[in-house]
Amino acid sequence: MQEFDHIQSLWQSHSIEVKISSDEMLAQSKKEVAGMRAKSRLNILGMIVSFATLAALLLFAEFESWTTLAGLSIIVVLVGIYTFILYKDHKLIAENDFTEHPKAFLDQLKAYQLNKFTIYNKLYWLYMAALSVGVIFYFYEKLNLLSPFMQITLILFTIIWMTLCATVFRKAYLKGEKERISLLIEKFERISTQFKESN
Amino acid sequence: MENKEKLFKEIFDTNSKKIFHLCYGYTGDEDSANDLLQETFLKVWQNLDKFRNKSLISTWIYRIAVNTCLTYLRSEKRQAKDELTDNIMENRPEELSEKNEQVALLYKSIAKLEENDRLIITMVLDELPYHEIAEISGISEGNLRVRIHRIKLKLTELYNQHARI
Repeated sequence: MQEFDHIQSLWQSHSIEVKISSDEMLAQSKKEVAGMRAKSRLNILGMIVSFATLAALLLFAEFESWTTLAGLSIIVVLVGIYTFILYKDHKLIAENDFTEHPKAFLDQLKAYQLNKFTIYNKLYWLYMAALSVGVIFYFYEKLNLLSPFMQITLILFTIIWMTLCATVFRKAYLKGEKERISLLIEKFERISTQFKESN
Repeated sequence: MENKEKLFKEIFDTNSKKIFHLCYGYTGDEDSANDLLQETFLKVWQNLDKFRNKSLISTWIYRIAVNTCLTYLRSEKRQAKDELTDNIMENRPEELSEKNEQVALLYKSIAKLEENDRLIITMVLDELPYHEIAEISGISEGNLRVRIHRIKLKLTELYNQHARI
């Protein structure tokens, strides 16, 4: 039969080491947001590369039909607009730091989450519709240069790829982002509100 | 800013070990205790300029830590702590010396207490003065003494029960 004194000495003899320093701790809290920022930057970079490639094609390649030019122009403008929207959204999380301006950062993170939802729902369908028109125009001339087998393969591949992007990939991306941002919002809200309670 | 960082470092170095022990006693696992430590000190960092020296800074930090602990597990819906402690004991039997086994039993026993009791007893085990525990937990000192007595008995009973198994 042990007494409480024994329990207390056991507790006090169990030495626990804090493995991080104050600097590391603050850096760690920024890391989660930094990961999100990096992903967003990569997304924008991918769009810029696509925009540059398509714009170069539009400027330097020769087309016989106006439909190809129109199709490519639609796609270039579309990619440009979408890149700009993504950049504006990225600015929301790039401007503030939670450790310095918690309230402003939290508000902007919520706005970022809401924007993401709009970008990959309503706006995405508009993007896909316009992209389809652009691709149809573009293929009108280009497909004539290919064999029937290649024509069917290319059309099928494009349809399957666009359907996959609009369904499986879009949903998976949106779900992952929603969970990740929600967890961060929940954590930051907990930190902000609890302090008010504790004072 | 530099002054704030210096002050924060000082506060962190002085208090982090005790706060980590409190969090560890509450959650029973190192990862969760680390998360709680981080959340507690983030709040300290963000609200340092609001601290008005009405109480000791350690009391202020303890109060933040206690609130952090209480809301953390509820919102995260974490795995029950006693299950975690069981897992720790089952997975690493070879690492458990007699002393470590006793420590593991202690954490397992603490895990069986009510959430608030768990936090109060960890502060008692850390030998915080009763008036500070009363201030942190928001209980009058008279009531706290009775409650601590009850928790001590309960913890000793749970520990002895586990030790017999």
